[in-house]
Amino acid sequence: MSMLTGKEQTFKIKWPTMEPVIQKLLKQHPVSRQEWHDLHWDIHSVCLWDNEDGPQKVHNALKSDIVNFVKVAQERIKSHHEGHALLRAYVAEWQKFYDQCDYLPAPFAQLEKSMYDRNKKKKDENYGIVRKLMLDTWNESIFMDIYEILKDRTMVLIRQEREGELLDAQLIIGVRQSFVSLCSNSSDPLEIYREYFESAYLSSTTDHYKTEAETYLAENGVREYMKYANQKILEEIKRAERYLETFSMPALTQYCVEVLVSQFSDSILAECQDMIRKNESKQLNLMFNLMDRVPDGVAPILQCLQDHIIRQGLQDMNDCRNVVTTDSEKYVELLLTLFNKFSLLIQQSFEDDPRFLTARDKAFEKVVNDHTVFSLELNTKAKHNPTKLPPESRCPELLANFCDMLLRKTPLSKKLSSEEIDSKLKDVLLVLKYVSNKDVFMRYHKAHLTRRLILGTSADSEKEENIVEGLREVGMPADLVNKLARMFQDIKVSEDLNQKFKESRNDKVADLANIKILNAGAWSRKSERIPVSLPTLLEDLIPDVEEFYKSQHTGRKLHWNHLMSNAVLTFKTECGQYDLEVTTFQMSVLFVWNMRPKEAVSYESLRLATQLSDAELRKTLWSLISNAKMKRQVLVSEPKVSNPKEFTDSSMISVNQQFCLLKGGKPQKRGRVNLIGRLQLSTDKSREEDNEGITQLRILRTQEAIVKILKMRKKISNAQLQTELVEILKNMFLPQKKLIKQQIEWLIDHKYMKRDENDINTFIYIT
Amino acid sequence: MSKIDDTRKGDTSNEQLFTLKKWNAVAVWSWDVECDTCAICRVQVMDACLRCQADNKQDGCVVVWGECNHSFHNCCMSLWVEQNNRCPLCQKEWVIQGTGK
Repeated sequence: MSMLTGKEQTFKIKWPTMEPVIQKLLKQHPVSRQEWHDLHWDIHSVCLWDNEDGPQKVHNALKSDIVNFVKVAQERIKSHHEGHALLRAYVAEWQKFYDQCDYLPAPFAQLEKSMYDRNKKKKDENYGIVRKLMLDTWNESIFMDIYEILKDRTMVLIRQEREGELLDAQLIIGVRQSFVSLCSNSSDPLEIYREYFESAYLSSTTDHYKTEAETYLAENGVREYMKYANQKILEEIKRAERYLETFSMPALTQYCVEVLVSQFSDSILAECQDMIRKNESKQLNLMFNLMDRVPDGVAPILQCLQDHIIRQGLQDMNDCRNVVTTDSEKYVELLLTLFNKFSLLIQQSFEDDPRFLTARDKAFEKVVNDHTVFSLELNTKAKHNPTKLPPESRCPELLANFCDMLLRKTPLSKKLSSEEIDSKLKDVLLVLKYVSNKDVFMRYHKAHLTRRLILGTSADSEKEENIVEGLREVGMPADLVNKLARMFQDIKVSEDLNQKFKESRNDKVADLANIKILNAGAWSRKSERIPVSLPTLLEDLIPDVEEFYKSQHTGRKLHWNHLMSNAVLTFKTECGQYDLEVTTFQMSVLFVWNMRPKEAVSYESLRLATQLSDAELRKTLWSLISNAKMKRQVLVSEPKVSNPKEFTDSSMISVNQQFCLLKGGKPQKRGRVNLIGRLQLSTDKSREEDNEGITQLRILRTQEAIVKILKMRKKISNAQLQTELVEILKNMFLPQKKLIKQQIEWLIDHKYMKRDENDINTFIYIT
Repeated sequence: MSKIDDTRKGDTSNEQLFTLKKWNAVAVWSWDVECDTCAICRVQVMDACLRCQADNKQDGCVVVWGECNHSFHNCCMSLWVEQNNRCPLCQKEWVIQGTGK
């Protein structure tokens, strides 16, 4: 085995050729390809073939080379005494050395492998033996000596940069690199970076701004200061991205915010209200961006905005008190102007942050449901009803009125384009979202819809049905919405029925009639029987219709609703011939004169002839004697009356034979006029019952919901019950505390539930 | 009811002061029942029963009358008789008198 002879000599033979190349590498002198190759090969053979611990020998020799090299470098660095020059020299040397940390280990791969194999350790990718040897040596000989000087000097440089001097960023980066790479604590390699470099950087940041910020604020005021602070924070973040490790960024931001924002929070926030009032969106945006960096910093802004919207909203309402209580269009417009104004502000200043949108919504709920400006009296006069509801906002009523103006043929709906109407209807739905008593809106909306469908005054049936779907989408109670949908269906069904009826009769009288037969459940729950005498022609027609209806359906009974019925009459006078659109009551009154065209008839006789109640007859006569739309009236009274109460039994009433319609002051021979006005859906008495109905329904719904919750929970605390109750009922109305309390007592009295014996604030369901 | 019978003389007469041209008559229908509420589901019989309301089948929800003259939602009753073929109100054997249409 002659090949193996002299193998123990391998190190001694090879090292003299290896060393010069290693020296060249350390000094960053050029190395030829051949030398580089040979170095690899030599190290490989020494490690494998020198059986007297070749790897260790190479390691020792390399170490002494590195130590020598570093010592020389140390001499060079230490020759500079002045801080800045020292830093400069250090970074220059370090950078060269650090670069070599990547190159020099490459040829020693076999060395590292052999040493690991021997110690049965796994290879650490980042810290190879040679690399660690190099860095450790540097650390021990140079860095440990001067890192304090380096750090202080670096902080001086950073301060100078903050003050506007240009400097070589590489100097600072080099020092940071040293702090990161040179740590002897292997379990926490970033220890010295954190403890010395990072903490020094952070505290120097704080120190720098502590006085500067305060002076700036005092000299320039909050508005300018916010610009300054914002700019400085961005600058510091940018600077830190250069000079700090990435993981230090959150700490840096926190320190900056602390010194630039948090300590002046109060001064900054003090301006908030003023800025919101003046609509300074740019300033507010700055404030938002600054305060949003402070934990919980925006909370005061939120509160401020919410308070402002409420205050402004209520003030606007109050200022226009006279207009908004009567003009629903103006009211909705006012609300929307407010809404759009603040939505825009939130978009521009607060970047549509969800927290601000919530604050806006809360404030709007307050404004919309406030009842100080105008309240809706739902209380009934009935003494037996113990539930007195507190006053409520008239908002739902006004919204419903506005909706009606858009959907009915009105000057407003004619003036607007289809798109404009759609967008205004959308606005109504938007405001409706904030209304807490949605049941009131539905009641008014339904009454308006009833009038439109009965009188055929809808401007656009497609929009009518769209809004019903819209109501469903904003969360109106499904049963109420379904009833609206049912109403449209009834109108269509009635058209078919009418057609069939006419075909079955095929005579003139049937042609006169246009019959609508509606579902009592969908249209009106209660229907009162109203006495009124009809022309014989119609009295005779009614049983025929009923009979026909029975042939189409079984198990149904019909109830004629003379309040909703109406007619068109032809009225012949000395001046011409006119079509009058009249209510059933008006028709009944006018037909009295068909037998005695020229006579004056006493009020008493009219009452007997028409069978109308005193109140209804007064109202009906008044509508024919004093119609604001007309110059010449249909009836005249002797003596004259100036309000419906002045009719006496002996008031003599006659037909105005000179009746005619005027157009531009000129009498017309023909024409058509609507005397119905706003179709009366109920008599005064039943209107009161209607209000009671709403109250009653709320009581029932509350009881229902309480039982439902208890059935599910079996046992529940008072507070929890209240919360769940509001959740269930909020789509209909907001239950008042008092109402809830009363209903709980009622349910306890009637043994649906009981109080827990140990805790009176807990309820238990009784099965 | 009427005391005005002048129109009988003929609506074609031109001497009439007021002539009827159109009558828009409105009537509401309801089921001809003695009790407004369905004793099984506790909903008014004029409204669809809860099951139909939930399934949005309001139109088909009709009323059924028994020989005993008690009435319920037809859907409610057909479920009821599967368990017990007696009227829930009077306990008489349930015999259908008719259904609404």
